[in-house]
Amino acid sequence: MRKNQAGVGLSIALALLLAPVDSFAQGKKGSAAPAAEAAEEPAAEATTEGGEGSAEGGEAGSLDDLCKIDPENCVKVDMDAASKRDIDSDMYAVQQIWALRTNRFEVNPYVGVTMNDQFVAHPGPGVALNYYLFHWLAAGVNANVYAGLNSQSDFNFETSRAARIGQPITEYQWNVNANATFVPAYGKFAAFSNFIFHYDFYFVLGAGAISTRPIAVVDPDNRTFAYSVKPTFGGGMGMRIFFTRYLAAMLEVRDYVFWEDLENPAISSGFNAAGVPLAQDPSTWLAPESSFTNNVQAQLGLSVFLPFSWSYKQAK
Amino acid sequence: MKTKHSILAGLAGLVAGLVITGASPEANAQEIQISGPLAGAKAVRRIRLHRDGRFDVAPMATFTLLDEFRRNVLFGARLNYHFTDWFGAGLWAGGGISYNTGLADELQLKAVDGRNCAENPNTLACKRTAVSLCRGPNCLGEKQLGSIVWMIAPQATFVPFRGKFSVFGKAFMDADISLFVGPAIMGINERTECAKGTCAPSPTNPDPFSTTGRVTASATFGLGFNFYPTNYISFGAEFRGTPTAWNTSGFDVAGESGPTADDAIDSNDRSVHINPMISVFASMQLPTDIKVSD
Repeated sequence: MRKNQAGVGLSIALALLLAPVDSFAQGKKGSAAPAAEAAEEPAAEATTEGGEGSAEGGEAGSLDDLCKIDPENCVKVDMDAASKRDIDSDMYAVQQIWALRTNRFEVNPYVGVTMNDQFVAHPGPGVALNYYLFHWLAAGVNANVYAGLNSQSDFNFETSRAARIGQPITEYQWNVNANATFVPAYGKFAAFSNFIFHYDFYFVLGAGAISTRPIAVVDPDNRTFAYSVKPTFGGGMGMRIFFTRYLAAMLEVRDYVFWEDLENPAISSGFNAAGVPLAQDPSTWLAPESSFTNNVQAQLGLSVFLPFSWSYKQAK
Repeated sequence: MKTKHSILAGLAGLVAGLVITGASPEANAQEIQISGPLAGAKAVRRIRLHRDGRFDVAPMATFTLLDEFRRNVLFGARLNYHFTDWFGAGLWAGGGISYNTGLADELQLKAVDGRNCAENPNTLACKRTAVSLCRGPNCLGEKQLGSIVWMIAPQATFVPFRGKFSVFGKAFMDADISLFVGPAIMGINERTECAKGTCAPSPTNPDPFSTTGRVTASATFGLGFNFYPTNYISFGAEFRGTPTAWNTSGFDVAGESGPTADDAIDSNDRSVHINPMISVFASMQLPTDIKVSD
């Protein structure tokens, strides 16, 4: 079956190849020089009959030769019609992109580092899974785990001590998001004009949930906070550098935006109806208003694209 | 704390290891034809040499990042001459303005204005912060917090990566990635040093808070992304770090014996900051004629 298809393809390719060659080689009607050259070559005369008809006869002979080699795949081409057909002269700006993403999965483990919280660092591992619907668009999910890795900075201690002011701080537990990834720019670099690697830039938009809780600073004797889940959204941009067609290093800066519950800077006095001090009543522990929070983190990791190989639709 | 750092270090090491081991088997990212007509041919031919033998004049705006109390915006320029397409030398300089971050504004509002220590000097909070917090409207930004005033950096520029990229497979631009390194001379405003007993307001000196200019030497390094829409105009962005020890807050946070406040403002209160900053620029390459490689 494949042999037959190859034969058909070979026949058509040869026919199309010969058509333009013939039109260039053939002189204008009435041109004397080619006729004279043909007259001086008996061998040529033997196989052609001169003029317009001779060319067609020669072309038909070529196809006939092809048909003799592979009779099953003999193709009859109307050369007049073929020479008048519209040619699709479109050229692709980028042919056979080296690391094609279309219809491939991306598995992207990474390590995230906080970029904008000077009081508490929220580092942690994460992973993103994406499916590329097109070369430039993917849908996917990602998740970050922060639990056990939050750490307060020296800056937090120094500022609190020097200014005698308690900055409400929080810690994170986890974060999951559904994402759309856009890859508008793709390119390649030559390192020292020798080693060539491919890269791309991408933008990501996402929405999901994050689990956080305040760290008791104002009244740690009474207050212990439980994690609670909040909606989050945001976006980011990143860059991938491909080492192979399926393995890349990536760096992404991502902003996870959410409304954070902070510790109430005031300690309630008095007692509630049950006789419990209000300072021990959890309903008094949180600030009355949520705080708009940007958790900007740098994510450094690897991208593995699956399947490892693919077939191009267009010829190079 | 150490455990957390160890876990992070382990994860970072794992990623780095995977990068290295994953890259090694096919370090030659794109197949190199070792036989046939392209055998032995250069990886890149007819490349436009945007830098070779040309000056690069780039006015730019620089923004400091991750600032604790004051954000600085420096306006300046870069002037480089490139001896080859991958190496150049030149000067980067800028000076500008600074303004309070959200944290500084919050401190001013709650810890300075809210306490009004000028009128209530004997409250516990005012006594305890007498050395570290100024008194009066907008005093933090005007008399206490540190800022970068100017910076000059002679620097060498290396351009190891040169290429192009396409946007949606339609528009194309030449691009390169440059690395730069060099000494840096930085002019900063910092809280004026004072000895123990003279840093807090007193009847003889009711306002001991002020800032003083200081010149410090350091090193600077960074990474630039450069895009060339034409043969002589480019644009891009640079990320720069300049590690410097300075007192950004004007607080008394340490003394001779370590991280214990000693009621004095001096060099012990300085800490090393990377001072990350990002510059955006438009650049012109002169002469405008460009060379093309073989």
